[in-house]
Amino acid sequence: MALESISVIKLRDLLLVTVPPDPDDETISALQERVLQAMALYEARGLVLDISTVQTLDSFFARTVAETVQMVGLMGGRTVLAGMCASVAVTATQLGLTVGNALTALDVDRALDLLNAAPSGARCV
Amino acid sequence: MNEPHQGEFCITSENDIVMARKVVRDAATALGFGITDVTRIVTAASELTRNIYHYAKSGVMHWRSLNQDARVGLELTFEDSGPGIVDLEKAMEMGFSTGKGLGMGLPGVKRLMDELVIESTVGKGTTVVVRKWLKK
Repeated sequence: MALESISVIKLRDLLLVTVPPDPDDETISALQERVLQAMALYEARGLVLDISTVQTLDSFFARTVAETVQMVGLMGGRTVLAGMCASVAVTATQLGLTVGNALTALDVDRALDLLNAAPSGARCV
Repeated sequence: MNEPHQGEFCITSENDIVMARKVVRDAATALGFGITDVTRIVTAASELTRNIYHYAKSGVMHWRSLNQDARVGLELTFEDSGPGIVDLEKAMEMGFSTGKGLGMGLPGVKRLMDELVIESTVGKGTTVVVRKWLKK
């Protein structure tokens, strides 16, 4: 069930990943692996992680996202975390979570704007 | 709302972390907690369930509704027979971890909840009790 629930969509030279609402650890780890494979396969220059449906962002999730951002950065890509809902933002902040060098956007539209506005070759790591 | 609601949930596999979140989400929502508090409580439960899975392999989560002095709340108890916590004071410090965590589990959980009580005996196990009260 875990692997099927993640889709990595190639959108021109970007990747769009929609994170399922309540992913288990295995799904989150699989997500990281798929993203890195797709980065290389499609020679993507950026990643949008749509977390708008995510209800629980705990320390494992945050650590994996931060790692993924770092890895994507090393591969020359930028990551935008899009759509974090208010309750998750409050909880993540109180818990002390950070998501590394990810850019953030209110929704996927704005995330795409952000990545398209960035000069190619821009790095965030 | 007067009759106490309670239940328990066994944690034995990684997938139980997700299941425990569902149980806690339903219990907190039924008690009338708002979305932000539900998210806080569920996230705290996720951290504590993962602690059990990683450090003790298995354990039990009990939950019950509280009704004290006209206050309504939710109490979650996480019990395991794992290795125990050697230095509780240190475990409550930000950034300290003996495992592969971020070291923000326990202090983070304390900030998310209203009350946190930990009892731990090395070699015997750990019990963590957390409570959140419904704001009027």
